Amino acid sequence: MHIQAEENAIVPVRLFRINTGSCNGCDVELAVTSAVTEFDVEQLGCRYTEAAREADILLITGPLTVRAREEVLRLYAETPQDKVTVAVGVCPVSGGVFRDSYAVDGPLERHLPVDVNIPGCPPRPQALLAGIAEALELRRARREGGAPVRRALPVDNFPARGRLSYDAGSCVDCRICRHVCAAGAIRFEEGETGVSLTLWHNSCVFCGLCSHYCPTGALSVTGDWRLDHPAADAFRQVERGEVPYAPCVGCGEPIIPAAPQLLHAAFRRPNPDIERLKSLCPACRQQMSIGVPRR
Amino acid sequence: MSDCINLTSEIRERGPGGGGRDGFEACVAAALVCAAGEETEVLWCQDRKGVLTGWCRLPSGGSLLPAARAVAELDGRLAMVTAYLPERAREKGEREIAYHFDLDGATLTLTVILPLQWARVPSLTAIFRNCDWQERELMELYDVQVVGHPDPRRLFLDHSLPHAPFERLVPYSTFTNAATGKVLWDKVLAGEREEP
Amino acid sequence: MSTKLIELGPHQLALEEPMYFRVKLEGDRVADLDVLPGQVHRGMEHLVMRRNFYQNITLLERLCSLCSNSHPSTFCAAVEEVAGITIPERAEYLRAVADEIKRIASHLFCCAVQANVIGETALFRRVMEVREIMQRAKEAIYGNRMDLAANVIGGVRYDLSVEGAAYLARQMEAMKQPLDELYLQYSNNPALLVRMAGVGVLPRAAAREYAVVGPVARGCGIDYDVRKKSPYGAYDRLEFEVAVQEGGDVRARNLVRLAEARQSVSLIEQCLAQLPAGPLCADTLPEIPAGEAIAKSEAPRGELMYYLRTDGSDMPVRLKWRVPSYMNWDALKVMLKGEPVANIPLIVNSIDPCIACTDR
Repeated sequence: MHIQAEENAIVPVRLFRINTGSCNGCDVELAVTSAVTEFDVEQLGCRYTEAAREADILLITGPLTVRAREEVLRLYAETPQDKVTVAVGVCPVSGGVFRDSYAVDGPLERHLPVDVNIPGCPPRPQALLAGIAEALELRRARREGGAPVRRALPVDNFPARGRLSYDAGSCVDCRICRHVCAAGAIRFEEGETGVSLTLWHNSCVFCGLCSHYCPTGALSVTGDWRLDHPAADAFRQVERGEVPYAPCVGCGEPIIPAAPQLLHAAFRRPNPDIERLKSLCPACRQQMSIGVPRR
Repeated sequence: MSDCINLTSEIRERGPGGGGRDGFEACVAAALVCAAGEETEVLWCQDRKGVLTGWCRLPSGGSLLPAARAVAELDGRLAMVTAYLPERAREKGEREIAYHFDLDGATLTLTVILPLQWARVPSLTAIFRNCDWQERELMELYDVQVVGHPDPRRLFLDHSLPHAPFERLVPYSTFTNAATGKVLWDKVLAGEREEP
Repeated sequence: MSTKLIELGPHQLALEEPMYFRVKLEGDRVADLDVLPGQVHRGMEHLVMRRNFYQNITLLERLCSLCSNSHPSTFCAAVEEVAGITIPERAEYLRAVADEIKRIASHLFCCAVQANVIGETALFRRVMEVREIMQRAKEAIYGNRMDLAANVIGGVRYDLSVEGAAYLARQMEAMKQPLDELYLQYSNNPALLVRMAGVGVLPRAAAREYAVVGPVARGCGIDYDVRKKSPYGAYDRLEFEVAVQEGGDVRARNLVRLAEARQSVSLIEQCLAQLPAGPLCADTLPEIPAGEAIAKSEAPRGELMYYLRTDGSDMPVRLKWRVPSYMNWDALKVMLKGEPVANIPLIVNSIDPCIACTDR
């Protein structure tokens, strides 16, 4: 009986952190998960360790700078073979706002395998706990066999800045969102049937500047912060939509019609003449307003 | 020189916020003329909150040391050093370094104009101890030699990185790993197409 | 006496961020120090020249998460100076609210970490719990606990509704008693006194010579606060005393921080009381002409300075900034000299060093 009890006693899962050159946002929030009762990793049966060789779960923050690389790889080499590696924040996955700097050598995946990503900039403690729980589940599945199960978490209604949402129906293809995005998280592609927008959640830093400057509200910040996912799915974490071309009612050229939201933003109460403008190409709009196309 | 010392005591009494704006500006101007020559002029701007910002382009690189000493005499504190390639630097063959000082809340910027090639400035570390890192940093980021720096090792740049990354404005993509963004986006767009 | 060199990294220094020291010891005492930064160098001053002004708001907010609001707000002030934009009065107050909220959280984090370093785990957790009040308030008002996204060129992009202001006022009320209690603890608790008083002393003359800034300078009796010396934003209409201590030791620096955190509560209350009605932003997408400007602010760690040079395009020709931490590293040589090795982590953390800021 006694032996049985000892075997069942919960041995804490040890978490080890490596900062590869982060802004310290993720690191300070991870510190919260060791200091603040509400978010303590103890509730997941974990505790932090200062020894790389004890790492059951490895938490990595930062975009991986050139200068930090050697030390990061040295520490990584000390960690056990069977640990689960978690990329915390978008920096290790995509470089976030620091991508393409001469001093950055990420993404992390170029140097070592990653198992779980926790997007966010920084992720809130609840998101960190969800990501660590996902890593625990992966660890359990690897040891016991079977597929990892994604556990549902209680959702709070706190107005956190989470995943961006895109409504192609109100997009006017002005591309101000891409212009103001510091993280290069937004791409426009002109296809055969329309213009498509792709927003990559692993690059987005959730600042909401795109949504702030969007004239029609096509991009909006949602409260959905639960974005942890297996690293294998990193490139599928996207928001996407297509603004279809429509023929110009004047000449038939394919154009992006102006969304009603834009007309209402520009003219408080659009009259039928103004409404007609939205389905005309620029040349036909000139024809309609000044009679001849301007040279 | 005795005039300059008198000015120093005067500025200490008046200060930039002490209602003696004209007196303060005159003192700084006179001290700089004394140190760096007749043609040295300071353009002062005052913002809506009354904060003074002075801009002074030094007549020559040689006047940097005496001008810096004059600022130290005025109880100035070195606040920041900015090296940069101004607009049309390559056409004109010129570069600039701006030394920003704090004079009890007012900011005075002394700018030296240097040749683009073989630029050299004297180290200010003997006058302002805190210039040490500022100069080490500008030496590694720009192609500028700081003469007389006590410890000219690299500071922030990893040894594997090329010297003077801030000089290499064009071409950019070959020098940075600007390809990373493209590689990642190719995967994002490809990953997306695999989906049903 | 035997001399030896040891190298200390983030784990030995009890830092959240990677920083390395080469320490020269004589016996078991520190004789000299070489600070080896660069681990968090992300080439940001280069990146900002490749990004437009709007992108740089978000990029700069990620320079460092502890003083994240100081960077975009000071950068925006420099852009506004170049463009001749006067931001609306309401925006001035809302920027001050954001800055002061960040100051409280930053100062408390620093004090908490030091408690942890000296093994006062219960106090560490207590300070972190008090800080949580601010973290929650940040998330409720701005949507993120670290990066507020409060600033845009020409003003701010968040507002305080009547309910929002009332909520913030309640959080401020909740901070008062704990902050007063913490001030007394860091001032008088014998367990803290024995570790912090008379430790890591920086004499005032050395503080001037090394040109330190922020709470490190004010802890040495230097009465310098950018909010007073070079008023900006709403600070010319807000009342506060510059927190100054004379000791120059670890204790003095912490008392400055805790006094400032308490004063930040008062500053936020004044902002809420005075908050004028009106627009949040002067102009949505202003043209930025050619020019140059300097903007300064009092970030949590001290004087922050930005220099901006523009050429009429939408990217900076040069954007240079100097963070307060940059000025304080060198003075560790004075503070650590003659100290036992065991005091190194505490003294290093007592300057509230920000490596992300320093390395950029």
